[in-house]
Order: sequence, then C-alpha cells, then structure tokens
Amino acid sequence: MAADAPVRLLPPLDPSAGHSFIEPTKRIHEHGDVSEFLCSKGYVDIMTFLLQLNRSMFPAKLSDGRVQAWPLNSDAVEYSAPVRQLQQLLSKLEAILDEAPPDKGPRRFGNIGFRRWYEIVESRVSTLLEECLSPEVLHRKSSDPEGPTAEAELKAYFLGSWGSPQRLDYGTGHELSFLAFLAAIWKLSGFPKSTPGVEERAIVLGVVQPYLDLVRTIIKTYTLEPAGSHGVWGLDDHSFVPYIFGSAQFAPALSETDRVPEEGSLPDAPDPNGVAKANIVERERRGNLYFSAIGFIYDVKRGPFWEHSPMLYDISGIRTGWAKINKGMIKMYNAEVLSKFPVVQHFPFGSLFSWDRDPNAVPPPSTSHTTSGPQSRLTDNAQVPGTKGPWATSQAVPPAGGTAAPWATARGGPALPDTSRLPPGPMAPTRAPWASSAQPGPPPSDVDPSGGMTKAPWAK
Amino acid sequence: MSDLDRAIAQLRACRLIPEAQVRELCYKARELLIEEGNVVCVDAPVTICGDIHGQFHDLMELFRVGGDVPDTNYLFMGDFVDRGFYSLESFLLLLCLKVRYPDRITLIRGNHESRQITTVYGFYDECIRKYGSANVWRYCCEVFDYLALGALVLGASSELEPSGPMMDTTQSSMPIDDTELETEVLNSRGEVTMSTYRPRQRSSSRNISPPRDISAGPGQAPMRSGAAGTGASGDARGSLSNRTGAVLCVHGGLSPVIDTVDKIRLIDRKQEVPHEGAMCDLLWSDPDEIDGWGLSPRGAGFLFGGDIVKHFNYKNDLSLVARAHQLVMEGYKEMFDGGIVTVWSAPNYCYRCGNVAAILELGEDTSSGGTVTRSNGDYGRSNGLLGATAGVRSPGRRYRVFEAAAQDTRGMPAKKPVADYFL
Repeated sequence: MAADAPVRLLPPLDPSAGHSFIEPTKRIHEHGDVSEFLCSKGYVDIMTFLLQLNRSMFPAKLSDGRVQAWPLNSDAVEYSAPVRQLQQLLSKLEAILDEAPPDKGPRRFGNIGFRRWYEIVESRVSTLLEECLSPEVLHRKSSDPEGPTAEAELKAYFLGSWGSPQRLDYGTGHELSFLAFLAAIWKLSGFPKSTPGVEERAIVLGVVQPYLDLVRTIIKTYTLEPAGSHGVWGLDDHSFVPYIFGSAQFAPALSETDRVPEEGSLPDAPDPNGVAKANIVERERRGNLYFSAIGFIYDVKRGPFWEHSPMLYDISGIRTGWAKINKGMIKMYNAEVLSKFPVVQHFPFGSLFSWDRDPNAVPPPSTSHTTSGPQSRLTDNAQVPGTKGPWATSQAVPPAGGTAAPWATARGGPALPDTSRLPPGPMAPTRAPWASSAQPGPPPSDVDPSGGMTKAPWAK
Repeated sequence: MSDLDRAIAQLRACRLIPEAQVRELCYKARELLIEEGNVVCVDAPVTICGDIHGQFHDLMELFRVGGDVPDTNYLFMGDFVDRGFYSLESFLLLLCLKVRYPDRITLIRGNHESRQITTVYGFYDECIRKYGSANVWRYCCEVFDYLALGALVLGASSELEPSGPMMDTTQSSMPIDDTELETEVLNSRGEVTMSTYRPRQRSSSRNISPPRDISAGPGQAPMRSGAAGTGASGDARGSLSNRTGAVLCVHGGLSPVIDTVDKIRLIDRKQEVPHEGAMCDLLWSDPDEIDGWGLSPRGAGFLFGGDIVKHFNYKNDLSLVARAHQLVMEGYKEMFDGGIVTVWSAPNYCYRCGNVAAILELGEDTSSGGTVTRSNGDYGRSNGLLGATAGVRSPGRRYRVFEAAAQDTRGMPAKKPVADYFL
C-alpha cells in the first residue's frame, strides 16, 4: 500500500500498451452489486482522482514561506488550453438553455422544457465533444480496429452529468458522472503534464465550479427535483463535491510532500459557523466552493438555515477546523454517495472505469446478497468493504447502511431495514426504495417521454 | 390539567415530550386505533387535509386557518412524517389530539407511515437525533401499523353556505336563480378568491328519503346525475334532499384489486405497508390522464385514469375521492370532472417548492334533520336501485388555501450534534 506517498495520482493510460475501449454498460443492478463496485478498479480510479483534486485545493506552502490559497477566480491559477476548451463547452451548454425555454403549460413540478434541452445536447453531443477535446483524446482508438474509440466512453459520462430528463431530477449521481468525465479525460492524457496540483486545481476552479454554476442554473430554470434527497435530513439536495473542495480551500497549507492534514484551518479562513449567517455566506460564496454551494441553498430555500439544512448546520459547529470537515466530507462521500445503490446504480462501466476487481480489494464481509427485493434487509454493507486506497487511514470508514444516521454514535440500534437506498425524486413523488433497480436509468437514447412508466416497478 | 392536556400544550409550543410519555401515548393510540375499521366512517362537517411531512409550523398555520381541534373536525390523509424538520412534533401532536378527542380527528395512513420509508426519508434520523435512540421511532412505527387505510365522509351537503367577503378579484361563475354554490376557494384571511355555482337539483319525492332496499331490474341502466332539474319540479326549497354520495378519503388512490369499498374492509391492515397489493396501492397510487391502469413511476402502486375513477365512484355510491400524496402547486387539484381531488397541506414544501397548501371543508347537510344518509358502498348503485331518479351529487367543497408560516419567531438550537463522519 502506498500509504506513505503523500500524493497518489490517477495514472494515464500507457500509450505504448494496447487498450480496448468498451461501450460502457451498467453493472450495478441490485443492492449487493454495490459491494462489488467498491472492490472495482473503477471505484479506485474515481476515488483517486477525487482525492487528487481535493489535495490540490489545500493552500500551498511556498518555498519562501508564504502561503498561497486557491480562491475561485484566483489570479494564481492559470488555465491550460484543455481547461479553457471545457469552459467553452459549458458555455455552449448554457447557451442551449435559450433554445429550450421552460414549458409554460400546466405542470406538477419539474419543467418538461428540460427534456428539450437535453435532447438538443444529446443530438449535438459529437460536435460538442469534438470542439472541446483534442482528436488524440476523443478519437483514441482501441487496439482492435473494430473496437470503439474513446468517444464511446466519454459520451456516456458526459451525457450522464446533467440530470435525468425522464425524472426531471438532478443529484449526486449526475455529479459523479461529470467527475468521471473529467477523470476519463485525465486518463486519456487530455490535460497537460505539470507539477502535481497545478492542473488539478485548474480543473476544480476552472471546470468543476463552472459546471456547478451551470447545473444550478439548469436546476433553477427547470425546477429540477433533487434526486434522492432525504428532505432536510440530507447534506444537500443536489450536490456533494463543492463541500469537499471548498473545505479543502480553507484547510491549513501544505508543502508538496506534506500529508493532507486532518485538523486545523487556514489562519484567515472564516469560522465554519458562518454558513448560518447570510452576510458571511454572501461574502464567502464568491471565493469558496463550500460557501458557493451554501449560497445556492440560500437562493432556493426559505426558512431558518438550521431547520432546512440541519446537517450542514451541525457541521458548522465543528471546532477542529476545515481540515476536519474536509476529512469528514470525504468519508461521507464514500458512504453516502459511492456506497449508495440508488446513486451508483446508473453509473456505467467501460475500460476507463472498469468493473474488474482491483487486485488489492478487500473482500466484502458478507456475500449473502440473495435478493434485491424489499425483503433483503441487508445489513452486510454496514461496513463499507472495498479497496483500501492510499487515502485510507487507520480509521475505518463509517457504517453506510443500517443504523447509519451519521450523527448516530455507536448506540446499537435495532436491526433496521437498509437505509442506503435513497430513492430518487423526493420533492413530490416518493419512490419506493425497493423499486430503485427498476427505475429507468438516466438518458438512454430512446427516452420514454412519459417518464419511464413501461417497466414493472418490482422488476429486477 | 391532565397529563394529556399538558402534553398537547407542550407539543403545540413545538417542544417534545419525554420518551416515557411518548411510549404511553403510543400505547393509548394503538388501543384506540385497533377499534377502528380499515375504513373509518366520518360524519360531515369535516375538514380534510393532505400531506404534512413534519412541517410543524405550517401545521399550526393550518389549524389557524381551519379552526382549532376540537372546534373543527379534521381528517388527515397521512404522510405526517419524513422530510421536514419536525415530524416528531407534528405526529405526536396529532396523536395526542386523536387520543384526547377521538371523535374529532381522524388519522389515516400514508405511504410514509412505514418503517422502510421512514428509514430512508428522515423520520428515523430525526428520532435518533432528538431522542438519542430508536425507541421513539419504534413506538411510532407500531402506531403506524394500526392507522386506518381510508375514511368515508358521510352526510356532506351538496351546497355551500356562501362565506366571507368576496374579494374584488374573485373569479366567479355568476350566481343566478336556481343555482347553488358548489365550490369556494378562500385565502388564509378568509376572503373568497373563487367560487363556482351549479344548477340546483330539485328533489323528487322518491329521493327525499332514499329507498335503501328497493331493488331494480338488473338491466335498468342508471343514469349519471342528469342536468339540472331533470324531471323534477317542486319548489325552490326542494333542494333539501340533495343527495351527496359519500366521499372516500385515501392517501394515494385506487387499486386494480379493489373494486368496492368493502374490499378495503377485508384487508388485514395491521402490518408494515407491503410492497404490492391492495394495501400498498391505496397508499401509493396516483391519478393520471390515462385510460385504465398504468404502472407508476414511483415503483409502487399504480396510475389510474378518469374512467377508473368514474366507474369506482359510481359503483360505490361515491361522489368524490379525496386523496393527497402528490405536491400540487395550488394546494388542491380536482381531476376527472370533479371525481377526484388531490389535497396537499405542506406549503413551500421542503422549504423551496413555492407551492401553497390547501385544506378541504365539507359542510354538513342539515336538510334531513341531522339524519345522515348512509351511502357508503354497502348497498346502492351497483344494484341500480336508485334508477334514474337521482344522481349522486358531489358535495359542496370549500378550499382554504394558505402559505407557509412566518419564520421569524423560531429560535436557533444551541447544540450542534456532530455526525460520526466528522468525529
């Protein structure tokens, strides 16, 4: 295990070795498959890339002793050509909003104008990608001349990044897809080689934040429902990664060889309890991803912050600094996003994010996944199995299933039904948690405009 | 002041009662609920409410707008818990009121009153956070299993007494001679914002006292309520016998395996909500603009069309199905020529939807000297007995629409429990 190395980087594909691209397909069909996912190479790559980006957002100790922080719109970060091209891609997607105005007819909640927007994006996807990715990246060939090019894989993650046109919702599964899109470009050497951190922070500040801005615009324009939220009892209705990267921005500074700190804050970082104060949120949202996400909550929600966002409010009481928050956010992302069947069930696997088992993976504690039906009250994911990556510290990942109310300490609750199945689309229609595997996934090309009513709900 | 009254006062102030008291309350509630049938019969007048979802302050606003218990009779169609911050306070208050005034308040089960759903959508988390253990969650879930699955409102008047001042902007179909007020929409200040009238239906001697056991030939096709005054003469006061069918209240909707109200009565309801079958469908289904039945995108229950509703109402002598379960921006939504209505009582749902909430008041038909016409599906139209003489009229419907409660008075909690991930 490479636990001693401070930085582990997502390795690009070896250009000299043969490679076969694969049309990505879904592999997580039932709850038990999540354990497999957590042992897959795809999972390790996603997590590695996330942590690589995360590390880059920690302020830097410069050689002259000064500390360089990385606020949004920082002059100290230069955007490479690939980053600028991705920004243009996002601008084009934003411009398509004008071509697909919200529908004015009667609606219950989500606006079907979003389906039009998505259709347009889908119809132009090849051109859009061609304009923003170099041919060496986009059209990289399989060793087998009959095999698909990298485009097949890039497209899948790109199109999965914008919410579900069927369900008119957006959630962390879509955010994950965009992360995979960027990681795929990384693996295809689509970003220039540089000192560790340089290109990564350009990606976060120059692409991830504009992506989040665009997604927020889309959500507001079409009133997309939060996919899989618990109402007030989740972290955020739609997003997760801004809380990771934003907390890193306020953490103590690092040298190139330092390990990521687990406590403390940058000296002039705002107190975490600022999230409950509108004026501080207004000030900080311009420079920080965490506060930018909080600011969006302020934009769309009415009512006391502690009431509509109790988890974020509780986190604001943490006294051990932004690094502590950052570490908690990563653990939580692992447990509440990557380990949740309803979130990851739509994630497709190809060659870049492979379903193959990682050789270092720790087998899950139990394999009794006999059904995915409602009776399968799985308790066996109470311990997130999976690969111990270099980021894994001695502390075990917290329980993900069963009694895992995050604030619930080890009180030993009852044998509970599995809580890890967050059904999507909670704003209005509650979906049956046991039905999740039958939910039509995001964007197949032949989208059923009636909202996926053609599948029996209990169908596996 | 009894313990119960003290608990009510405390919960009204949005303060929780001790765990031991919750346990006792839940025990008493179960004793009471076990006596109720799957379909509770409720006499008008009654105010029908939809989803609450832990929006306690908005529930207080609902009581302000609709009148307090026990002065107003209430029927809540489930989904008391999940998503909101105050599911505990909201549900425990309603439960206290149920135990204190059992004849004044009716609670039926929603799809969220379930162990599996509450562990996903927040109520379980809330119990852990507020009580430090799952005990209270367990007590509440045991009560959920005993909640009725539906209610039949009997004796509702077909005509509303006009209420409140009309706003200048009131939209209204003109009241003309020989019309009756059918629906009225009021804002939270009690001002009428919309009203609709319909032709008064005259009575004939036959349906002043509706015959219960006159059988008609099976081939005799009964007609749906005819146009106004069809075949009826009589004086202008002849509306006395305006016969309104019963109103069936369920959380979600209809089920393909339930064709009569009696079949609901046969369900063994004292269990966790199953994932399919009649009980599941009643709590999960949604009406939709389709013909017949459709599969629900929720993965439980079904979609059902206007033809299903018409047939069901006709066969069961119902004039209306009232249900909740779906956010509607205007607070209520009538569909299928008024055969079904969705009532939604959680304003600005999840703090962000921008919707208003509504409650539905059904008035008492005082015309028959307080005798309630028992038309609850036990007998009736399926036998064709009423023939062509009387249609079942829908009840007069008064919707009170309200917005989210003001928030300025809510204090901030001092303690911030820290989640495991951040320890």
